[in-house]
Amino acid sequence: MDLTSFLVQGLINLYKGSLYWILALGLVLIFGVVRVINFAHAAFYVTGSYLMYTFYTYTSNFIVSLIIAMIITGALGAIVEITIIRRVYKLETIYQLLATFGVALIANEAQKLIWGKGVVYISIPETLGRSVDFGGITINYYVALIIVTGLLLFIATIVFMNYTITGLRTRAVWRDPVMSEALGINTRLIYTLVFFTGTALAGLGGALTVPLISVGPGLADYLIVTAFIIVVIAGLGSITGAYIVAILVGVFSSILVLIVPELDIVILYIIAALILLFRPHGLFGER
Amino acid sequence: MSVDRRDFIKILGAGAAGLVVGAVLGWATKPSEVQEITRTVTVTTPGVVERRLPKATVKIGVLGIRSGLWSTYGEFIEQGARLATEEINARGGILGSRVELVFRDEQADVVKQARELVDVENVDFIVGIDSSGNALRVGGIVDELGKIVIVTHAATHRLTEELVFKEGKKLIFRSSVPVYQDGILAAYIAKDLPVRKWAGINGDYEFGRVSWELFTKTLKTLRPDVEFVTAHWPKFGTEDFTPFISALLASDAEALHTSIWAIELVTLQRQLTAMGGYKKFKAVISTLGYSMDVVYALGADYPTAELGTWVSARYMWLYPPTKINREFVDRFKARWGRLPAYSAETTYSAIYMLKAALENAVSLDPDAVVKALEGLVILTPAGVRWIRPEDHQAVYETPYGRITHKGVEVPLLEDLKAVPAMLYYRHPPFM
Repeated sequence: MDLTSFLVQGLINLYKGSLYWILALGLVLIFGVVRVINFAHAAFYVTGSYLMYTFYTYTSNFIVSLIIAMIITGALGAIVEITIIRRVYKLETIYQLLATFGVALIANEAQKLIWGKGVVYISIPETLGRSVDFGGITINYYVALIIVTGLLLFIATIVFMNYTITGLRTRAVWRDPVMSEALGINTRLIYTLVFFTGTALAGLGGALTVPLISVGPGLADYLIVTAFIIVVIAGLGSITGAYIVAILVGVFSSILVLIVPELDIVILYIIAALILLFRPHGLFGER
Repeated sequence: MSVDRRDFIKILGAGAAGLVVGAVLGWATKPSEVQEITRTVTVTTPGVVERRLPKATVKIGVLGIRSGLWSTYGEFIEQGARLATEEINARGGILGSRVELVFRDEQADVVKQARELVDVENVDFIVGIDSSGNALRVGGIVDELGKIVIVTHAATHRLTEELVFKEGKKLIFRSSVPVYQDGILAAYIAKDLPVRKWAGINGDYEFGRVSWELFTKTLKTLRPDVEFVTAHWPKFGTEDFTPFISALLASDAEALHTSIWAIELVTLQRQLTAMGGYKKFKAVISTLGYSMDVVYALGADYPTAELGTWVSARYMWLYPPTKINREFVDRFKARWGRLPAYSAETTYSAIYMLKAALENAVSLDPDAVVKALEGLVILTPAGVRWIRPEDHQAVYETPYGRITHKGVEVPLLEDLKAVPAMLYYRHPPFM
């Protein structure tokens, strides 16, 4: 492969990686701070897609629809946290799994009721649908948008975690919830905030992809499995680690799907299993 | 994790309660069954011996994909079947016998569904089947079923070339044009295009593989100067074609062939457009591109290449320009609100094929009906169909055309290129 095609392929891989990163970040936050394995993450992703579809069809305003879709999904996540997840914090993991799985099932059926069983699309907005030619490489604006969003998200999260009071408190709860509670940090609020953010991020992922990939019931499951694998490989300690692993997985799976399509997800599973064997806390995990 | 007795009973109780709630809700929200109400009109002329079938009701089982992402295809089959049945029953049925339909989801274990249709529902015939895999499965047990199966969508040539012709499973018929449309006829279109380098993107399963194989083999003989630069094989159910598209864009291909269909085709076309594929490829052949679900979904956004986006289907509503076709399209639109999808027509015609055969045979005995179907020539909306006796494949032609946006409701086709079916179908002995 010559340089230009390599770079073109690289851009696509970055886009895939950025998408996985947006999903994985939400999972990492919820898993790390709230300590809940959110089986419903895919459902929130799809909810974001559907909401984007509905609002964009009404308003024809890309940015506004994106923000509304994100916020509503986050709000739904917060409601789920307050009503359901809170009750299973003190219980064993299996109840948490059942609870989030139940949420996923309910969301799935609710989506079918509201939006029907078929697949929905929106066209890429005019301004973003264009591509620019850079010496033989066609860079599509929309693909670039997703890459840039991922990068901005990474920077924003680092800044938030390390330079704000709430970020400090979140990190504290992440490290040691009992001590944080003892020190007077409102852990309940932090949990709800993190759940809101995590699900809003899933919604953002869904909303961003719906012009490119259509949305229908159950379409997100494959993406979410990969996001979970990223969390497993990266471990729960590091935001930067999650970003790196997400990008790598995006690159890896894009290459694999071309060369050995039968093996792509299998190889990821094998890598994840090996890492769990030798470094159970993940590549960048701390505990 | 150790669980004490109390917790165990709690979990069991919760599980049982959940099951009960689910069952009650499921039963309460079950859609009411559709009832067919028809009147049989018997016409007798004095002095003429009545030709009657042994049963007052002819039951036809209809198999289609009714769940999951491709469930619209099961609906198309249903629409065609219902329209035909309503028309036939309104005019006195088949020799006075009423036609009744029973619908089943071929995705819910097609072998089990086929057996139940025959053993439990006592159908006399089976029509439909979207998936090639399922068609081969039903074909495998057709002798055990003992009933005629008319496939109206599944496209694998192995159904007719191997099961009927080689293995002699005489109960299988097909009313729809098979993969010859996607492979061989596509090559006839490609040969006249001023491009030399072709790339392919086809599904990584039987239908996709055979489409590309027939396309490349045929085109190489028609245009020896042609080069096949690259081929990609997305798995069934791919939502994101971007890695494949970027590889296609990186190649030096001038034109693209694809047999990808339905939802995947819509996604492929949109992503291909978004990534600049239509700036690169001078021509695109999309073998199932004029399937109505794709046409409606893409609408005004249906991309057109410089030398044309050449599309076809197994029947297209605007061809042939005959009275029977125009009236079928009008009736279909009045009944279902949309232009007919191809598998609606192929199923509609399959039922009319059965009617013609039954009126000939005046019997429900499968062997008699098989004989009546073999060699049958019948005028249908898609054109004249000849049921070839050797492989039970309906022979008729559907053209390719170039997408144009001159239509009002949906994109239309211009430059229709029809090649005689006898030229692009494969013939026995299929060597």
